[in-house]
Amino acid sequence: MQQTEFTGVDPSYYKVRLISWLINTAIYLLIALVPLALKLFTLDVPLWLVILPPLTVILIALWVLFLIRRRVRALGYAEREEDLVVRSGVMFRKQVVIPYGRLQYVEMTSGPLERRYQLCKLTVNTAAGAATAVIPGLPAQTGTDLRERLAAAGEEKMIGL
Amino acid sequence: MTENWQRVHPASPFVHGWLAIVGLIWVYWTSTDELSWSERFAGPRLGWTAAIGVGALLVILVFYALSWYFTRYRLTDTHVYVNAGMLFRSQKQARIERVQAIDIAQPLLARLLGLAELRFDVADGSSSVMRLAFLKKERAHQLRGEILTLAQIARTGTAQPPAEVLAQEPEQDTLPEEEPARHPEAVAGASGQLIVSKVPAGRLLGSLMLRVPTILGVLFALFFGIMVVLGNAGALAGVIPALLGFGGWFYKELNNSWNFTASNTDTGLRISRGLTDTRQQSIPSGRVQAIKISAPMLWRALGWYRIEVNALGLGDESDSETLVMPVGNFESVCQVMGILLPDLGVPAQREVLYTAVTTGTQHGFTSSSQRAKAFSPGAWKHQGFLETDSVLITRYGWLARVASFIPYRRIQGVSWHQGPLERRRALAGVRVHSAGGSILGYAHQLDHDRAGELFRTQARRAAER
Repeated sequence: MQQTEFTGVDPSYYKVRLISWLINTAIYLLIALVPLALKLFTLDVPLWLVILPPLTVILIALWVLFLIRRRVRALGYAEREEDLVVRSGVMFRKQVVIPYGRLQYVEMTSGPLERRYQLCKLTVNTAAGAATAVIPGLPAQTGTDLRERLAAAGEEKMIGL
Repeated sequence: MTENWQRVHPASPFVHGWLAIVGLIWVYWTSTDELSWSERFAGPRLGWTAAIGVGALLVILVFYALSWYFTRYRLTDTHVYVNAGMLFRSQKQARIERVQAIDIAQPLLARLLGLAELRFDVADGSSSVMRLAFLKKERAHQLRGEILTLAQIARTGTAQPPAEVLAQEPEQDTLPEEEPARHPEAVAGASGQLIVSKVPAGRLLGSLMLRVPTILGVLFALFFGIMVVLGNAGALAGVIPALLGFGGWFYKELNNSWNFTASNTDTGLRISRGLTDTRQQSIPSGRVQAIKISAPMLWRALGWYRIEVNALGLGDESDSETLVMPVGNFESVCQVMGILLPDLGVPAQREVLYTAVTTGTQHGFTSSSQRAKAFSPGAWKHQGFLETDSVLITRYGWLARVASFIPYRRIQGVSWHQGPLERRRALAGVRVHSAGGSILGYAHQLDHDRAGELFRTQARRAAER
């Protein structure tokens, strides 16, 4: 696996992940603060129920925050002669190989946040549901080009089922 | 030979729609709940009840008659046509030479009336199955034979140049050893088929009794039974959902496996099964993507196995595994595997198969690393894989032991996995994915370098044509 040269994703994808981290954390924190709100309304809520949920949320959020940068840096893909390799994960590392000949269709999506940074996400599908490769955080132009190249390679090397 | 349009059996709409009648009666019954039996069918109400009943019956009969009138089929030398529907017409046709197989299914009511449904497995890329329901059972078998014979003639007529065949059958493999797959079941239903495995009722029941859900169900029932006997009548409330859930599972398994017979045909396996709903199904070997032989915990001592396959285009079950042997000993496994995967890519097929379904590192099996002992104390010796010339064999599982077989040319993608704990012990796993179901090649907790090597060779194999 070491000999494969991986292309990383766009560094601005870090910002996308950071903003969605902020939004998620805010939502979870709001939910975790419900007992505190109830206590302020003079309801009888045990103290541990007030403290524990927000504390847990904050700890997990910080841990995720710590991992975001490394997670983004761990993302990468490599177009090899016969197949596409996609790498992901920091704690749970994963690599997926999709031979061009097995490629069924390539999907390009971009959410509102990704659009702001002109990024997109490619999903490469095969006939097997579990053999799916996802490359997030590609610059829009790179994504379009990659999709075209993958589609062309898929057509050229197609193997029937 | 060009036949005229023919209609299906007149009872067909009833078999399709008997639930509607039952439903109507149920709605009537529950909405007149407050009435007693005599009030319903006596006095001034009787007239109304009878009038409404007759009216509803007439409407239903008219609908049924129309539905029957508009459902027609026709067989020509080149096509099978099935038309149905009066408001929303559906006209389906299939080119004879693309008919891969024809299943015969008999739902409970149809079976009681001696009727059968034909399900066409057509290689034209469409996802919906063409159905023809219902015909008299003999007629169904006769029609199936006719169509498959025509298909055989159409295909072997050698009128088409090979290139065209290739273009027309994208789902079919073009490798030479796949050749038989294009000639399914020469004369279907012909006698002289070799029965490879027939599951006796006793063994089937025994095997189901030894499955974990059954044992859990029985334990639950015992537990609640004791509670009730001890005077806790409320525990009865727990019994019913448990019984329903467990009974549902048991019935489904029983119905799927009852009277299970697998026979050998020119192209693959032919399966017939069913307790209340009977079904006949063909599994051309060319459609099989992956094979899983599993031994649930309590079967291991008895040497019993169960075989499932990932297969493409088997009608409505295309997304889940297909059962090809509910229970059988190693001898049956060998017979079934001999049809599904005649070439394991090794000289000592039988011995390798035996090592695959048991445990051991003979014949080149690589097992999980010693360092995996802490993670899988009961399974690390069993976990392992073997790369033959044509197939990847993987073994995994602790209590229930599984061996999965994926031919290299069926590999859709390969993935490599490593969790934080595995990394510390320099372990990694490789998974190999195939289409048509959830069976996968799963080589777990291997030595890091060995996993990397397996990952690379599998990726290379997958890209080969």
